[in-house]
Amino acid sequence: MHRRLTFFVVLVLALLVQLTVAPEIGVGSVRPDVLLVATVCWALFEGPGQGALFGFFGGLLEDVFSTAVLGVGAFAKTIIGYFSGELRQRIVSKSVAWPMAIVFFASILHELVKFATWAMVGLEDRPPFSFGIIAGLALYNALLTLAIYPVIGRFALGEERSLMFQ
Amino acid sequence: MNRGRTIMIERQNRRQRALVITLVVICVLLVTVYSRESKDGLFHRLQRLSLDIISPLQKGMSKVLSPVKDGIGFVVDLGKARGERDRLREEFRDMQGRVDELEALRLENEELKSMIAVKENNPGFEFLVVDVIGANPDIWEQTIQIGAGYSDGLREYMAVLSEDGSLAGRIILCTSEASVVQLITDEKSSVGAKLQTNGELGVLRGEGRNGVRLELLNQDAEVKTGDLVVTSGLGGTCPAGLPVGNITEISERRADLSVGIVIEPRARLTRLNRVMVVVSPPPRTAPIEAAGRR
Repeated sequence: MHRRLTFFVVLVLALLVQLTVAPEIGVGSVRPDVLLVATVCWALFEGPGQGALFGFFGGLLEDVFSTAVLGVGAFAKTIIGYFSGELRQRIVSKSVAWPMAIVFFASILHELVKFATWAMVGLEDRPPFSFGIIAGLALYNALLTLAIYPVIGRFALGEERSLMFQ
Repeated sequence: MNRGRTIMIERQNRRQRALVITLVVICVLLVTVYSRESKDGLFHRLQRLSLDIISPLQKGMSKVLSPVKDGIGFVVDLGKARGERDRLREEFRDMQGRVDELEALRLENEELKSMIAVKENNPGFEFLVVDVIGANPDIWEQTIQIGAGYSDGLREYMAVLSEDGSLAGRIILCTSEASVVQLITDEKSSVGAKLQTNGELGVLRGEGRNGVRLELLNQDAEVKTGDLVVTSGLGGTCPAGLPVGNITEISERRADLSVGIVIEPRARLTRLNRVMVVVSPPPRTAPIEAAGRR
């Protein structure tokens, strides 16, 4: 019960920040993808299954609250969540540099998956591809990991502690 | 024990893979349905409804976070401002170049208009417009070089006018492609002149950098500052009636009883770019050598 509640709280918080704060802290045309950072961080703490679920619901809600093609964001974030969770078992270091690096590459992969899906769907008015913007977004997201990773870590670890006391 | 754990992990992995595949299939279905439905379809309406719900929150947050946004904008703009400054500097240099070019064209246009006016006012004369190609580096020689010579129909002693039709000097040396013009300020220059007001005759003599002096034949002639001095046509080199300059100074009688009359030439002798050579009527005789000059 606690696990689901924590999942829900983190998801809603990330969504709200994504919808309200992220547009206000953009640099030029680069707006951070808080939901993606949260997905990667959640997956790194909770594993691939949870990462995929978090990515799916986060992406789906993001799609619902935007005018994007419904399902594309959910698809891209599900993939990212799953593979980020898979990486958890291969990383032993506790340094925050690892999540930052993973978020950086995950951001690039996320955008590439989105563009590929748009192309496959045959979306006509898709935005022009710009690797500069994608690189800027990846860098911004990586920097944002410094703030988001410890917060999600606290939620995840706090939940583990409460389970131990039960 | 270990085998049991391995089996458990295997099962868990299988479950996770199955979950991901299920989620991906759901996403593909969603994308397909969304892409095929009309703008009034269920998912499109859901999106519109969601945007209606979230927009007040976004507006409120936008107001609250506007200082943060401004701060980020300021930092970003600082970086942009530097690039913008460099771009504007470059643009300014280009524009300055164009302005200089246009200014030069304007001056040239004015000069040519003025020359056309001179031609129209002197229908009896025939002129040849020639570019000034150099000046004599010797400070004691008040001469310039022009880019036309014998092959263009020029001859020695032809009168040379500035763009406003005032006397600037005369040709003293002619080669096939270029000529040397002795300016009226040259110390060896002497030109027959007269006062326009009363026709009193005299001779204009160059004074080097000090300008031109008029020596009147009649020492008691009435003369005052501001009077216009024109060529007399006597001597046969310069046609009569060409303006030379105005009297700026009349000094006391000198030991030889002559009156020192200083003329300020009308032609801007130090800024000549193009001149008009009086080709017709041609000079009839050689000029009088300035007596007692080097």
